[in-house]
Amino acid sequence: MTAGGPMRLDGVGRRYGARGPWVLRNIDLDLPRRSLVRVEGRNGSGKSTLLRILAGIDAPSKGRVTGRPRSAYVPERFPAALPFTAVGYLTHLGRIHGLRGPDAARRATDWLERFGAGGHARTPLAELSKGTSQKVALSQALLADPELLVLDEAWTGLDPAARDVLDRAVAERVAAGGTVVFVDHDPRRLAGAADARYRVTGDGLDRLPAGAVADAGSKGAGTDGHLAADDGALPSGPRAIIEAEAPGAARHLAARDLAELPGRPYVTRSPDGTTARLTVAAAHSDALLRALLAAHPPWHIRAVSQAPAGPSAATPGPPAGTAAVSPTSDDENRYP
Amino acid sequence: MIPLLRYQSALLLRSHRWLPPVLLYAALLAVGVQGGGPILDSYGVAAFGLLPLAAWLCRICVTSEPPAARSCTAAAAGPGKAHLAAVLTGSLSATGLALVGTAYVSLVADPHASDHRTAVPLLAAACAGLLTGLVCVLLGTAVGALCNWPVLRSTGWSILSGLLAALLLLVGGASPANAAVSGLVTGSAHGTVNLPWLPLLAGLLIAGAATALACRLSSRRI
Repeated sequence: MTAGGPMRLDGVGRRYGARGPWVLRNIDLDLPRRSLVRVEGRNGSGKSTLLRILAGIDAPSKGRVTGRPRSAYVPERFPAALPFTAVGYLTHLGRIHGLRGPDAARRATDWLERFGAGGHARTPLAELSKGTSQKVALSQALLADPELLVLDEAWTGLDPAARDVLDRAVAERVAAGGTVVFVDHDPRRLAGAADARYRVTGDGLDRLPAGAVADAGSKGAGTDGHLAADDGALPSGPRAIIEAEAPGAARHLAARDLAELPGRPYVTRSPDGTTARLTVAAAHSDALLRALLAAHPPWHIRAVSQAPAGPSAATPGPPAGTAAVSPTSDDENRYP
Repeated sequence: MIPLLRYQSALLLRSHRWLPPVLLYAALLAVGVQGGGPILDSYGVAAFGLLPLAAWLCRICVTSEPPAARSCTAAAAGPGKAHLAAVLTGSLSATGLALVGTAYVSLVADPHASDHRTAVPLLAAACAGLLTGLVCVLLGTAVGALCNWPVLRSTGWSILSGLLAALLLLVGGASPANAAVSGLVTGSAHGTVNLPWLPLLAGLLIAGAATALACRLSSRRI
């Protein structure tokens, strides 16, 4: 039921049983396209219930959900004692997601390989380790390019390499215009990359400030060289810095062009106006590079570097690692 | 719906959980349908066994996925549709066995009434036997849909209520399955063929309502 408008929850409530206590009540939530949403809350606070409602697995007891696009869901644990091989299961799920059989099988193999589980493609699901089962669960959701991806602690049990692959896959989904909603016990998970954060408290939902450093001084295309997107802000957490020559002159870049870029990078430009420096949450860097190179006309990439995690959200300031990667002090004071 | 049915039938076939009910049904046919027995009575025996068989196969199908896998399927296809596919797979596999059972009876039974003298038209008798089998499959599907997840969630209650419901539907005077089988048996005594249209209609309505309720509940339970 792909509707034109964005997905919305209106006064959604959920309780189990006709007289059970309300797990969630009066939840209003907008889930725009091209956004990454983090949901937080204590254990047993109703996070999973909210995620199951978003994924369409559970129907709300009250209120309504409108505009849910093609969805996929990844549970925390996937101990699937199903009589299939990994690829056999994924091909079935791919078909259920609307793919043709051969296409589903090819994408299944691709995703298993990306997660480093290509060698287990022909292994029966019952014989897979916990981590590899989780990779099958992730592939099941990602192979169909869902418009809404719901991840309930999907990183649990993955090796570090596969966690990074998942971080990037999430950024790709968002860059492709999808919505990703996730819960993870690690507060640093995709730090700085989330567009919105919510906390489930009691039976309600509170919006938290997004995981970016507040950047009060530079709203709009300021004279300090910072080309602000809507809420121009330096991402917290691990970041990547991309120095690139814009097609044409960087000074002509409009804020709306930058808002379209994956990860909504924080952009400054060099004094001569030819080179732009885009700072983005590390998880989004591949998606951003891909978008820059695929643009018409394409950007020219000068350098890509990594910046360590910045200051905490409470103390806005220049990123800690800038000096190490910035050869000119000119650029340095372009940061607010 | 086709990919879901493929997935569910692959689950059913590969799990081997279909073996016990199918073997029991084969045993029922082997014991209850004697070569040269009156054909309409034999169709009655074959149909009788289909009701618990269909209920059992539906139970296997709606419980074949672990909860985590069920959530993934439900997100991809919608929980109601995913559950409908499971019930349909059980029902359709029982329908396949109804065809096999009807064919077997047609081959081995004697196309005469109980007195072994009055001839019974074979084609009409086979139609009545198959329709009676379908009535039993439909009611078995209703039992399977109502006595398992998501309507009943405990295994003990599911099996107990399923057995009881199947028994009541087989012997209860008001049951369409009982009416259809009785139609065959009385037809055999009189040498006439009764086509069970009314029980079939009732069976369709009951199975449809039961499945709709189960599918509706599938997004409202854990």
